[in-house]
Amino acid sequence: MNRVRNLQGPALVLSLLSLLWIIVILGLLALKPSALSVGTITTILQFSTILALVSLGQGMVILAGGAGIDLSVGGTVSLSAVLGMLVLKAGLSPFFLPFVCIGTGTALGAFNGVLVMKLRILPLIATLGTFFVYSGVALSLTGGSAQSGVPDWLLWWGRGVLAGIPVPFLTIAVPAFALAGIVLAWTSWGRWVYAMGFNERSARLVGVPVDRARLILYSLSGTLAGAAALFSLAWLGSGRPNIGQNLELESLTAAMLGGIAIFGGRGGVGGVFAAVMLLVTLKTGLLQLNVNTVWQVGIVGALLIFVLLADRFSQSWR
Amino acid sequence: MRQLKDGIFSLNGRELALLAACTLAIIVFSVASPYFGTPGNAATILRNSVELLLVGLGMTLLLAMGGIDVSVGIVMGLAAICVGRALEANTDPVLTALVGPIIGALLGLVTAAVVVLGRIPAIVGTLGLLGIYRTAIFILLGGQWLSGLPTGLTVLLGTSLLGVPIAAFVIVLAYIAVWVALRRTPFGLHLLAIGNSEEKARLSGIPVAKVRFATFIISGALAGLAATFYVASYRNVEMTIGSTLALDAIAAVVLGGTSILGGKCSLVGTVLGVLLLRILQNGLLLMGVPSLWQPVVTGGLLIGVLSVEVLSARLPMSPLGWARR
Amino acid sequence: MFKKIGRALTVSVFSLIIAGAAGAQEKPKVAFVPQLIGIPYFNAMEAGGNKAAKELGVDFIYSGPVDTNPVDQLQIVQSLIDQGVGAISVSVLDASSIAPVVKAAEAKGIKLFTSDSDAPESGRAVYVAQATDEGLGSTIIDELVKRVGEDAKIGIVSGEATASNLNAWIGFMQKQASAKYPKLQLLEPQYAGGTAQRAAQISTDLMAANPDLKAIIAVASTTCPGVAQAIETAGKTGSVIGTGYCSPNTARSYIKSGAFGFSVLWDPARLGYLTVWAGKQLIDGKKFEAENKVPGFDQAVTYDAQKGILLLGPPAVFTAENVDKFDF
Repeated sequence: MNRVRNLQGPALVLSLLSLLWIIVILGLLALKPSALSVGTITTILQFSTILALVSLGQGMVILAGGAGIDLSVGGTVSLSAVLGMLVLKAGLSPFFLPFVCIGTGTALGAFNGVLVMKLRILPLIATLGTFFVYSGVALSLTGGSAQSGVPDWLLWWGRGVLAGIPVPFLTIAVPAFALAGIVLAWTSWGRWVYAMGFNERSARLVGVPVDRARLILYSLSGTLAGAAALFSLAWLGSGRPNIGQNLELESLTAAMLGGIAIFGGRGGVGGVFAAVMLLVTLKTGLLQLNVNTVWQVGIVGALLIFVLLADRFSQSWR
Repeated sequence: MRQLKDGIFSLNGRELALLAACTLAIIVFSVASPYFGTPGNAATILRNSVELLLVGLGMTLLLAMGGIDVSVGIVMGLAAICVGRALEANTDPVLTALVGPIIGALLGLVTAAVVVLGRIPAIVGTLGLLGIYRTAIFILLGGQWLSGLPTGLTVLLGTSLLGVPIAAFVIVLAYIAVWVALRRTPFGLHLLAIGNSEEKARLSGIPVAKVRFATFIISGALAGLAATFYVASYRNVEMTIGSTLALDAIAAVVLGGTSILGGKCSLVGTVLGVLLLRILQNGLLLMGVPSLWQPVVTGGLLIGVLSVEVLSARLPMSPLGWARR
Repeated sequence: MFKKIGRALTVSVFSLIIAGAAGAQEKPKVAFVPQLIGIPYFNAMEAGGNKAAKELGVDFIYSGPVDTNPVDQLQIVQSLIDQGVGAISVSVLDASSIAPVVKAAEAKGIKLFTSDSDAPESGRAVYVAQATDEGLGSTIIDELVKRVGEDAKIGIVSGEATASNLNAWIGFMQKQASAKYPKLQLLEPQYAGGTAQRAAQISTDLMAANPDLKAIIAVASTTCPGVAQAIETAGKTGSVIGTGYCSPNTARSYIKSGAFGFSVLWDPARLGYLTVWAGKQLIDGKKFEAENKVPGFDQAVTYDAQKGILLLGPPAVFTAENVDKFDF
């Protein structure tokens, strides 16, 4: 029973998202054939990297249930990027920059996990608090100014393109999703995540280490945010104190759109990936058609409601 | 039921603690800065709390019901545009004052329709509406802010009645109305029952959909009332209006002791939570702390208060309300 | 059904090809990416750009982010590059992060230049400046000193802490103050983000914390109404002078009420016009002279070849006497 429900929802959402994606592509093709080029694909992938990484973490935290949510992802990205550059300025060898960024992200994520799992503060509130703190500290430490001085070898990685596909997308986003997908689908860890999200009490009864698993997932969300911060440094060439602005709501949108149930236990990383692609393609497509950007937020909002409604009504028909 | 009892206990404790925190903050800031403890500054703090307080009251009801609305700041923005347009058209000030709550209530109705009829979790449904409402603001304003609006509304709300401005009466009335609805009517009982367990509430014959609709509409109307005050005091509607209000309101309300699990809330706590946030923001700026640190203070306070509460009470793990099925 | 769609598709594809071909033959495309859409200042620039497009025979594209988010801005610029627009001007949100798109534009032979807010070391083709950052910073200090004297305390309320052009202006204000008026005391800048409410709150607190405050400068145009309203509400009209980089339409009622002493700004519509003109020059491959004649401009527009700056002219100061002559 459990299994059947796990499969049907995401499968429906995935096909719905793919259909919408094809409609967007066809629409673009019909209205502006010149827009579909290798360059456009590179653009889409390049701009989806940050959102993809952050949404993956967000999605897994929600998937594990317990009212899990991570509103602090944007703040984590900003603070990891800024701290990385500040440490570099303080004289640390640039070689350590990737470790500092990802390490900071992991630590900030683990702090969320401690607040939620050890202190039993509800995730929405705990991460709302850390959202204010992380993003506020990132701004205050720098006074708002961007921190430059990213080493060249990092830029070379961040801006590199291989056969039309941006290197960072190929080297972090794709492996992260593949790994998460494999772990969720084929390991006992993955089954635990679904189990504790689907029914926490029974998961505890059969001996799933719920608290430890969730703590790890919050840290993982931080790790992915740290990786996104590293990519932003390597791509933009500077550490921006507000680079993670709006990411909390955008990643939440992507995760929900990707078929992850807000109550946990249902959904998959494939859906999240499809949702991120759909969102970024839609944005790029609208820009290519020179549609006024004010419509973007509204269209994304309507899309979210539409997909959830479709998912909901397909369930009641069954 | 057990939870309700717990709620009342910890609620009293929280209210007292907040009151103590406010008093302490006032004493510390008064000593630290000669400009803090003046009547003018007190009026400033109260004045700057109005919108957050009104939106917070609505949010208190929503959270108590196990709901949430992240679009409420933008609802205030849309209502403010309508109030501003009414002012520009030289509508009678009394009628203009009503425009805000009416538009707010209508938007609350839309939100309720999506969340309740569509059976979408409130946080996701209102997230979608947030995007749609933002586009609406852009289109309605079209790049031209409403600025330097006529003073009709400002004069009306500032008029003294028995030595107190009408604005104060309106706010107190709004508070009393919400309090009565929550504590002295079946509606309030139903709302808390839904917050405790929607399933049980439904089984015991409570008209769940109706109550949820009503709560969203009340919250919308309060956001609309906040819009009236916003326009009256700033005489200006800009495109970014209300963009940070919803998260601030959630923070203040939770600080006040309302649980996002539902079933437990404190209106006095919300008032104190809003005041404490504003006192800290005002006081720290008076002491020369840069305004960039203000979100850090909000977040730190939120985490600190909740951690202390949990650590001191050593509560056993509570069931997870808004994720309960 | 399918027939209909098919027909619609064919028709639209054909019309697009024709339109595209016609566009390619005659009308070059110039785009402008503001920092933020939906604010009166950039709307005025758009209007000026449209006027120039009509008169100079180019297509003008105006597209910008809905939040002051540099990644969103980059994405818009990138999609314009992918579209193959002839020249793209950007009002840069963050000077340090524009480098990737400058490279991408270069690779496709697209002229990328800045306008309104600069990124000096990015390799942009030219910077269309409303005034020099230095001129803007010092003008507002000079004008203020005329009104409040050299021995005064002045507060600064800015918008986003991350906006590099606003920070540059604040830097030159501080420089001018310390170089020319040693007694003048500029308080640390405070940041209000984008909302008038926060700006009002912060200004009120500043006035409370500093009863001897003589003036408040609203650096971002989004903060102007908040600062002015705070002065009016606090009943300090006359004793605290508000000012800032605000358009006459935004500041008019406050200048008349006395909450604002004056406002410093250029005509954004003319800046928009000049931006499109510069874009066309770049597409046509024409060099900028030291003095350029631009249609519709009475005075020649100067070009600083060393810094690569095309200058609109000195900023205008709006006061109660002249504010009614302007409408933007």
